[in-house]
Amino acid sequence: MSQPVAPVRHILIEGNKSYHNITEDLCSPTEKAPSREWILAFIISAALLGLYVFAVCWTVWKGIGSWNLNRTINWGWDITNFVWWIGIGHAGTLISAILLLFRQRWRTGVNRAAEAMTIFAVICAGQFPIIHMGRVWLAFFIFPFPNTRGPLWANFNSPLLWDVFAISTYFSVSLLFWYTGLVPDLATVRDRASGFRRKMYDIFSFGWTGSAKHWQRWESLSLVLAGISTPLVLSVHTIVSFDFATSVIPGWHTTIFPPYFVAGAIFSGFAMVQTLMVITRKVLRLEEYITINHIESMNKVIVLTGTIVGVAYLTELFVAWYSGYIYEQFAFYNRVFGVYWWSYFGMMFCNVVSPQLFWSRKIRRSIWWTFFLSIIVNIGMWFERFVIIATTLARDYLPSSWSYYSPSWVEIALFAGTIGLFFVCYLIFTRVAPVVAIAEVKAILKVAGDQYIGPNAKAHGHHGGHKSAPVKEDKHED
Amino acid sequence: MHHDNGIWVSSEDLTRDESFLRSAEKEFSVETMAESDGSWTASRRDFLKLMGFGLGAATLAASCEIPVKRAIPYVTKPDEIVPGVANYYASSFVNGGDYCSILVKTREGRPIKIEGNTLSSVTSGGTSARAQALVLGLYDMRRIHSAGTVEGGEVKKLDWKELDNKVKGQLALGGNIRLITNTILSPTAKMALAEFTAKYPNTRVVSYDPVSSAALLAANQQCFGVRGIPNYKFGEADVIVSFGADFLGTWISPIEYARDYAAKRKIKSIKGATMSRHYQVESHMSLTGSNADNRILVKPSEQGAAICALYNEVAALTGGAGIGGPTLNDKAKASLKKVAAELVASKGKSLVVSGSNNVMEQIIVNKINDLLGNINTTVDFSVVNNMRQGDERDMMRLIGEMNAGQVSIVIVWGANPAYELPNAGQFKDAFAKVNTRISFNGSLDETTGLCSHAAPAHHTLEAWGDAEPKTGHYSLQQPTIAPLFETRQAEHSLLEWADSQNLNRQDDQPYYQYLKSVWASDMFAKQNKYSTPAAFWDMTLHGGVFDMHAAPVTVSFIAGIALNASGVTQPGSSELEISFLETVNTGNGQYAHNPWLQEVPDPVNRTVWGNYLNIPVEWDGVNNINGWKNLNDGDNVEVEVKGQKLSCTVVRTFGQMPGTVAIALGGGRESGGCGVGYGVNVNPWLPIEGGFIQYAAKEARVTPAGTVDKNFACVQFHHTMGVQAMGKEEGKVINADEKSLGWKGFQGSLTDRSIIFQTNLSELPELAEKMTEFHEEASHLNAQTLYPDTAEYFGTGLKWGMHIDLNACIGCGACQIACVSENNIPVVGKNEVNRHHEMTWLRIDRYFYGDIENPKVVYQPMMCQHCDNAPCENVCPVNATNHSMEGINQMAYNRCIGTRYCANNCPYKVRRFNWLDYTTADVWPGNEDRVFWVEGEDKPYYADNLVRMVLNPDVTVRSRGVIEKCSFCIQRIQEGKLTAKQEGRAILDNDVRSACQTACPTGAIVFGNLNNPDSAVSKASKTSGALAYQVLEEVNVRPGVRYSAKVRNANEELHS
Repeated sequence: MSQPVAPVRHILIEGNKSYHNITEDLCSPTEKAPSREWILAFIISAALLGLYVFAVCWTVWKGIGSWNLNRTINWGWDITNFVWWIGIGHAGTLISAILLLFRQRWRTGVNRAAEAMTIFAVICAGQFPIIHMGRVWLAFFIFPFPNTRGPLWANFNSPLLWDVFAISTYFSVSLLFWYTGLVPDLATVRDRASGFRRKMYDIFSFGWTGSAKHWQRWESLSLVLAGISTPLVLSVHTIVSFDFATSVIPGWHTTIFPPYFVAGAIFSGFAMVQTLMVITRKVLRLEEYITINHIESMNKVIVLTGTIVGVAYLTELFVAWYSGYIYEQFAFYNRVFGVYWWSYFGMMFCNVVSPQLFWSRKIRRSIWWTFFLSIIVNIGMWFERFVIIATTLARDYLPSSWSYYSPSWVEIALFAGTIGLFFVCYLIFTRVAPVVAIAEVKAILKVAGDQYIGPNAKAHGHHGGHKSAPVKEDKHED
Repeated sequence: MHHDNGIWVSSEDLTRDESFLRSAEKEFSVETMAESDGSWTASRRDFLKLMGFGLGAATLAASCEIPVKRAIPYVTKPDEIVPGVANYYASSFVNGGDYCSILVKTREGRPIKIEGNTLSSVTSGGTSARAQALVLGLYDMRRIHSAGTVEGGEVKKLDWKELDNKVKGQLALGGNIRLITNTILSPTAKMALAEFTAKYPNTRVVSYDPVSSAALLAANQQCFGVRGIPNYKFGEADVIVSFGADFLGTWISPIEYARDYAAKRKIKSIKGATMSRHYQVESHMSLTGSNADNRILVKPSEQGAAICALYNEVAALTGGAGIGGPTLNDKAKASLKKVAAELVASKGKSLVVSGSNNVMEQIIVNKINDLLGNINTTVDFSVVNNMRQGDERDMMRLIGEMNAGQVSIVIVWGANPAYELPNAGQFKDAFAKVNTRISFNGSLDETTGLCSHAAPAHHTLEAWGDAEPKTGHYSLQQPTIAPLFETRQAEHSLLEWADSQNLNRQDDQPYYQYLKSVWASDMFAKQNKYSTPAAFWDMTLHGGVFDMHAAPVTVSFIAGIALNASGVTQPGSSELEISFLETVNTGNGQYAHNPWLQEVPDPVNRTVWGNYLNIPVEWDGVNNINGWKNLNDGDNVEVEVKGQKLSCTVVRTFGQMPGTVAIALGGGRESGGCGVGYGVNVNPWLPIEGGFIQYAAKEARVTPAGTVDKNFACVQFHHTMGVQAMGKEEGKVINADEKSLGWKGFQGSLTDRSIIFQTNLSELPELAEKMTEFHEEASHLNAQTLYPDTAEYFGTGLKWGMHIDLNACIGCGACQIACVSENNIPVVGKNEVNRHHEMTWLRIDRYFYGDIENPKVVYQPMMCQHCDNAPCENVCPVNATNHSMEGINQMAYNRCIGTRYCANNCPYKVRRFNWLDYTTADVWPGNEDRVFWVEGEDKPYYADNLVRMVLNPDVTVRSRGVIEKCSFCIQRIQEGKLTAKQEGRAILDNDVRSACQTACPTGAIVFGNLNNPDSAVSKASKTSGALAYQVLEEVNVRPGVRYSAKVRNANEELHS
């Protein structure tokens, strides 16, 4: 770091990259033969995906009775998994849209992968509302379209119907946003490819030429989609929370759910991004793009949202006590001390206590701690949904109907299977598209003050590597 | 193409236009289809069109659900059958001594439902679970299909003629003939027997009852000179003391007793309310005990001591001589002293009964009633109850005879001694020595399996018959379907073998003619209401019952009968005693093969499919309610009684006296139907004392087996609404159950719920006040809403609602079976109940409360509450459940996609999901491995077309993956509305009565139009006043079902 001028901003990309270096680094994973780690990971994921397909067939063939749900607890792992996956997806949207609005430029290092994660997570999430239906072959009944089935239509009062809209909107917008961002990068890959590959990338990049007009339209579209995505970050999980909040079941029927769910979603989403990034940057050797600073920034988000979630948990307890309403009081008492106490303590420890370690800068910047805690947080967030769903249902109004629930092998296989589905998608993604947004990264290559080489630049002896002309300043980034 | 007929199809045709003619000629040519002339070449578009159509058609054809239809029209339509309209026939449910006058509902000639017969003065339209389940037994593939010889556990078919010849040949050889029966209620059957006996004079009929009342009969013979059971008037007694007699569930005539009992206990007005007081002296929590105001706990072996103690106290107060007696626990002794005072205070208006099978105990009980002046008032011999006539001592004698080789022919008729007798082993050995063994039993049960010949009788619903359940009360039984198998009326067989001249063999139904002629001669002569036998017969057959009014008969306690305290059961000294109880579900195994009865939970411990060892619970004083010996529900134990070991599964039961355990009879059937393999046969454990079977053993040893029954099936995991006990930490009485719910619990977490309101009669005004406050607060809370009030919307026209009187509900379970039968609710089997997948639309929640050692019980029938602000309706994404204008929460099965959100959001948890293909209604096979199968069958229970005949055609059979729940019997509502409409009048209460309502023996359930102030349901709510409440009223779901609070008339000073 040269003095006397202090750098205004830290560098975001390390290793004195040139634009060419960036292109090389980021395109090469799509061009090389897969590494042994990749192949191994893919085999495991595909096996899990196979298990998933088997478990789905089993469920449809045998009936939901192959799960261990019962007359009292009608949702269990299925909806727990659904909410968990949906929550995970939120980090991608947050990074793409909200961090963009907040001008957090570090996000460019991780936004591509995070958005991909969003899409795959939503795909996984979307599985559960469908396969949990008793008559999945009639799932199309939920779509409000003119039909010959009589005057009955979808019920617009039902939060489940809102879910249908929320999730399908979320998925389509996220997909568009992600793909729009991919277009210039796919063109970059195309330009380096030949033969059949080139032809395919040509198709997928929509004949991108990099003309000023293309860039201008691309910029506009990105901006519009970012605008649309922003409210989605808040709305999707809000609506998912309505599945519970609009019910009459004590422990579900609470007004705190929307913000609580959104915070939890971002919390778990960032944890999942951390899990993925820590592995991806290592395996694909992207440490210079996804730097320890990225990881630290995301850890800060984790400690913030984890604390918000913790406050929400305590607020729930307070409100239950303050309500003077016996059912509400009992529901929360039961959550903490009832038959499922272990899941509540698991949730509290993983979601509230463990992220507090990130107040320590050392832990925040430690790859191993980050990885370990991100897993813990994801476990904790799964517990949270389980606590909300299963423990609440297990002991509601009428003691005569209280019951207990533990999953059958089919339910466990379905959950493990969606993890397989997720990683199969993600692993394919790392092989066919640049996992870091090339165009966007190039735009932030020189954001740090000491990298400036314009007319008023001081002499930067050891930073003089960048000889290429300054690129067109990225308008929406600045 | 020239038309000569002057018809043209268009102006071109009329003018015979050239181009028209050309195209008309080509109408059927290939060229019009193909675009090119000449050769038939398909274009790309045609190819796509055809392929699209072909694929579409194939897909549609392959995916459509094409049910197999077997609709065979009548060749000659019977006059009385209109397809779609039910016919009701009055008949009788008779099984040994169990009796109920019934109406059989038939649709297109097949019986599908049992209703109570309101014309009967015995059962008054009430039914029992057993009567309700009758119809399922008819359609049982496991019935014997034809006469035959029994070889190797199978019936080898014989023609009835061949069988008759063989049997007659054997009968002609001489030798002693014995008939083994249960109680026979039918006078005509007795005549047939008499004819048989006249033909073969060396015949003797040996009757015993599966659960014996022989000592009671013997005692009455000694005390009053009448070998019969008096008419116990529970409805006229102010104080009732029952020594272990389960008179509301199983004892002698429970339907009748329950009606009378409940009538005396309904609260007619809050001010000046009166009730009878009921003391139950027992060790296990019986159905009757659970309804008692006070239970006095004595060990089974202390029953005699308790009876003596009560006698002594009563005698002391009435000037009789004391008799001493064995020692009784102090607590019970003190209690009985107070009870005696109360009994004496209501002399002539009290009633003491005992379920004991010890003659001296029964004699002392009779003497107590005598001292109390109850004889000829509440214990009335004017009308003798015939429902128990058997005497097991005869059976013991028969075993001796058979062993001695003195019996050459035994005919078994309805009885199953090889299972039911404690000494069944001895019976089997002796039975094997009999040359010819014939069984009339309908299934290949334990005894029939040992027989040489099977002459299967008709099922009750296929047979003619009559019954005289009480002297002078006659009841007819008529077939409602032609025999399904090649069976024959048992009486017909007897008359045939007796070469009776009175049997018209040429007739289609010889026994029908026989019965009719008996009635035309014998019964007709006894009455003067009808002038011709034909009118008498027709009217009685139509109504089902006929009462002859008997002149009052007074009896008196025969002087000089010695009361001898040494004749009563002497208390045992062992650590653990065991009692054996009869449940409403399975009796002593007679009903074990009926899946409906197996799956209706035991009213008290809520278990299904088998008999479980009831063990006491213990409060550790700090935080836990433990099972005795730290055993948990579903743990297996080794139980040893009389040196015989059996492996049982335990269930913790509140109210089970410490130092005692109890288990139901009727488990562990070995053959004959689908009850095989459930529970254990405890009959070998029953001691025999003085020839009488005892339903308790003084010594039992229980050792935990360390294993668990993985299919332990209990529908209720949490049993109490908070029970109280001394808290060691608190140093005062606390709610132990609330504390045990986790960590330190919190007080009020169960009792403050607005699910059950209950009180003691003495505090009734306080409860009414409390409930008024509660209603006010709830309606205040419920008024805080953004949504418009629906009262106006539902205030006009019809608004269906129900009222359930918790004070009248005794928990017997008749309504539950009625609901199962009416609404095609599938049986799911033990394994599925274990997984809490039971499908019952109506359940009876049972809560314990009060003192943990001797808790009180409340039963609460719970079904869909048809909320006007239903939480299930707004959450369904596809509108599958919605509200009718008449206030009914409707379920459109076809619309349901099975998200189960409605079930989650139901505060009452009454919605049931078809987890598996329980009814085998699905289009694809191979998914049925977990639905209910009977062991050894090749297809699931419901896949059997015979069983499916029981289905109510008015109610959809639900497929896998849809939610179902109580519909308020919507099919009955529609039928009632239609009737009223056709008759051009307003709908009346009697037009629509729900299945549960009609089944209830006590009239606890009332259903009707809430908008009609004169309807029974409106009146019931009005009468209950502040005591009427909606469960979870403050949640504002606005249920259409109201309950009235449980009131108990406990003697609060009893245990102080």
